[in-house]
Amino acid sequence: MAVRAEAVTKVYGKGETAVRALDEVDLAIPAGRFTAVMGPSGSGKSTLMHVLAGLDTVTSGRVWLGDVDLASLPERELTRLRRDRIGFVFQAFNLLPTLSAAENITLPLDLAGRKPDRDWLDHVIDTVGLRPRLKHRPTELSGGQQQRVAVARALASRPEVIFADEPTGNLDSRSGAEVLGLMRRAVDEWGQTIVMVTHDPGAAAHADAVVFLADGRIVDHMSEPTAERVLERMKRFGS
Amino acid sequence: MWRTTMKSLAAHKRRLLATCSAVLLGVAFLAGMLVLGDTLTDGFGRMFTEANSGTDVVVRSSVEVGEGDFTERGTIDRALVDEIAAVDGVESVAASIVGHGRIVGADGDPVGGNGPPTYAGNWITDDDLNPYDLAEGRAPAAPGEVVIDKAAAKAGDLEVGDTTIVRTPEPVEVTIVGLATFGEADSQGPITWAAFTDEFAEEVVLRQPGQVTSIVVGAEEGVGQEELARRIDAVLPEGVESLTGAELTEEQEDALQKDFLGFLRTFMLVFAGIALVVATFSIYNTFSILVAQRTRESALLRAVGASRGQVLRSVALEALVVGLVASAGGIALGIGLATGLLSLMEGMSMAVPGTPLAVGADTVAVAAAVGVLVTLLASIAPAVRASRVAPLAALRDVAVDRSGTSRARAVGGALAGAAGVALVVAGATGRDIGLAGIGALVTLVGVVTLGPVLARPAAGALGAPLAARSLSGALARRNAMRNPRRTAGTAAALMIGVAVVSLFTVVAASVKRSVEETVDEQFAGDLVVATDGWGVGGLPVEMAGAIAELPEVDTVVAAANAPVRLDGEDDVAAAVDVESLTGLFDLEVAEGSLDAVGDDGLAVSERYAEDNGLALGDVLQVELADGSAHRMEVRAVYGNDDLLGGLLLPRGLYLDHAPQPADLVVMVRLADDVTEAEGEAAVQAVADRFGAPDVQTDEEYAEAVGGQVDQLLTVVYAMLALAILIALMGIANTLSLSIHERTRELGLLRAVGQTRRQLRAMVRGEAVTVALFGTLCGLGLGLFLGWAMVEALADEGFTSFALPTGQLAVIVGLGAVVGVLAALRPARRAARLDVLEAIATD
Repeated sequence: MAVRAEAVTKVYGKGETAVRALDEVDLAIPAGRFTAVMGPSGSGKSTLMHVLAGLDTVTSGRVWLGDVDLASLPERELTRLRRDRIGFVFQAFNLLPTLSAAENITLPLDLAGRKPDRDWLDHVIDTVGLRPRLKHRPTELSGGQQQRVAVARALASRPEVIFADEPTGNLDSRSGAEVLGLMRRAVDEWGQTIVMVTHDPGAAAHADAVVFLADGRIVDHMSEPTAERVLERMKRFGS
Repeated sequence: MWRTTMKSLAAHKRRLLATCSAVLLGVAFLAGMLVLGDTLTDGFGRMFTEANSGTDVVVRSSVEVGEGDFTERGTIDRALVDEIAAVDGVESVAASIVGHGRIVGADGDPVGGNGPPTYAGNWITDDDLNPYDLAEGRAPAAPGEVVIDKAAAKAGDLEVGDTTIVRTPEPVEVTIVGLATFGEADSQGPITWAAFTDEFAEEVVLRQPGQVTSIVVGAEEGVGQEELARRIDAVLPEGVESLTGAELTEEQEDALQKDFLGFLRTFMLVFAGIALVVATFSIYNTFSILVAQRTRESALLRAVGASRGQVLRSVALEALVVGLVASAGGIALGIGLATGLLSLMEGMSMAVPGTPLAVGADTVAVAAAVGVLVTLLASIAPAVRASRVAPLAALRDVAVDRSGTSRARAVGGALAGAAGVALVVAGATGRDIGLAGIGALVTLVGVVTLGPVLARPAAGALGAPLAARSLSGALARRNAMRNPRRTAGTAAALMIGVAVVSLFTVVAASVKRSVEETVDEQFAGDLVVATDGWGVGGLPVEMAGAIAELPEVDTVVAAANAPVRLDGEDDVAAAVDVESLTGLFDLEVAEGSLDAVGDDGLAVSERYAEDNGLALGDVLQVELADGSAHRMEVRAVYGNDDLLGGLLLPRGLYLDHAPQPADLVVMVRLADDVTEAEGEAAVQAVADRFGAPDVQTDEEYAEAVGGQVDQLLTVVYAMLALAILIALMGIANTLSLSIHERTRELGLLRAVGQTRRQLRAMVRGEAVTVALFGTLCGLGLGLFLGWAMVEALADEGFTSFALPTGQLAVIVGLGAVVGVLAALRPARRAARLDVLEAIATD
């Protein structure tokens, strides 16, 4: 297991206005797999991702990344852990506008002061197909290219797990498919572990498994998902 | 729009506060200086009114010669007292003697004398005519008895019954028999006062039998001041005038206004002006950023139907509110500042203690108007920019700011800069300070215009060392480069502050170097005894003779400042034994001979001769303070006017005709076989007898003069610190706003693993880069203008240009420190940013 959540509860606010975003969630993300987290708005899927990725703290329960309990780490250690062991792809504003595509890709490595593995980096860059665009600034790249840079950045440090938060939310379907295809390849060819939060059944269909969240609880699992089945399942939340 | 603007302001109180700070400090300084000036004027006005309260008419010599700080009025015949007493309507009349006299305190140091006068004279026994009242003891009744003012007694730790010395400037041994108050106060403002009996004052202060300084007259009930003055005029001989008490008060106020207060006011207003210019840049920058950040908001307003005018007015309205709030705060702070400075000045006896603060309606109006205008002025360009936002911008992502690097700007800025530099150089080489000044302004405009063009490459170069060190450094450098106009605007405020600081530093260093060189080159003597304090009072005139009698001494030259009227023109001459000068230093005589000057000749410098159309052999009418006129011939024309000026008068003439002669400086050349130490000891022994200050070697003398420059420079630095502080706040403010703007970016950085420490280093790096950019531009500008000023004033005594590298290095260091300090708060706030909130911001 790459990431585990044990009875994780997250409460925002206090007293009457308290909101239970996560309620005793138990979850295990298998290593080397592509897992999608789905759920309607307000189901707690983003909160779950933030908690698993060490971006947010839990109210109770434990989150394990490998053999490290994230809840026990001070802020500084948590930052280092994110830098060295986790990769991120956000929905938008993934890149620093002052840095070139190449610099954005090596950002976490540079922050750590680590020398990038040149061969690996070349491999990643060729895989995402950005070689001719490396010197460009983010503003000179299309939305799809920007997200591919973000994926390359996440892959560059070979993290134990990559968290992707609606990575295709702002893209047209073709660009979205490219990005999803990239993530699929990373899992298949390099055994990368990826957790993706999405509300798009088509995106979820690229994953190996889907976890469904509603009202802060895990309500269902699905292996070998297809877009139709996921859509079907999602419709039942509406009713 | 009014409500929208107010809501927007209320929603960003913190931002409002930050924007206000720059205006607030500038206005505070201005208001503080105005209040201080008014209060000082009030205080001295009251003091003079009180001093002349019992006096209806004053009779004095109408002869006053000299100019500037060095004027002298003649004395009048004491016998006039009786004639005036006989005039119809005169109730009381008394002779008044006032001259210089420094009271020596219990510790042996003289009391006061750092600017304000130290007076000695006679105790007028008529209570109505004497502005002083006995508070303790009795009036002087015998020679050697003295009444001093209570404040001087306190400062000098003296009491009734004590014996001490009063230097007039000859040391006079006295016994204190009484202490006097001035009205309610312990003293007449900062003036010290020692009063003897009539006869003794005549003997030791004026030293001219039968002569007095003035005659004060009180009118009978029902007789007006002007009426009485008219009646008295009828009995006055030629060369004696009368004026009413009111006229005298006015004259004294005017003199102080022109002299001390006028200088102070100009001095302080110049610094208030600098502070306000720096503030203007800070405000301009803040508004530019605010407007840029609200592009979407403005566009939305435009999209839903607001006209361009309404958007423009909205920004202007915000500026108005900021200006008003900041001005109000600034005025309050300014009053506090004035209070503090006033007590400081009272401590240095430069103000009249106990004067209530004068906060005039005009001060408030001027300060508020300037504050609001400056804010409005600074917000015009950003407001226009805001109004130009297309409605469609609301729907677009805000593009990266590429403004500020246009070709037109580069060309215009370069042209203005080049024209300015050319003007400055022309002014400097042509010895035309006015032209250089205009050139300086044009240069400044050019540099400010060019700023945004220069900002990107400059920030790139300055940030390179940082970038080489770490990723945080590289990011800092990029951030400093990413918005050239903002970087330039932020740096401009600091640039101006630093430019003025380095200008003063360079000029001061050049003054010191020039003084040292002048002393080195001209000073062939070995020792000098110079007046301490501000040159008033002077040295006893007998001292030079006593020193000359020492076997260790070869030549002695005593020089006094002699106010004269030369062919009807007021001037100040140096009164010296012209022949003895040859033994001390080389005047570079071009025509005639110093030996020929004698008792009825003059020596003038070539420049003085040229300026006044004089030539060897010309005969001039020289009038002195006592009204005497002398026909004198120009018998020598010399080249070197650095040390003694351009006009030399026989010392004997001055001694005979000055009301209270005193030497300014006594220069000594030791005999050949005497060591400096031996000579100094011998001369010091004589000087001590005369109560004169320390004997100095030429190096010590040059150092002492240089020390005075340093003292003035310290005050200047203190004033300029405010401008730097405003610039610092400007940088901090810009940084805060930029960070606010980059919240999402910072969130991303933190999410992918930037530690707080790295984040702080990044913010700090950006601030230091911007600060260094401003500092270096300012340094360059300051050095260049400093050089120009020194060159342009070469004829006024600047013999050489000095580059104080150490001090300039300190300035650059300070610039970097300013950057670090400015980054403190923004960096801390950026580091505390909640990662989740940052990445969720939209």
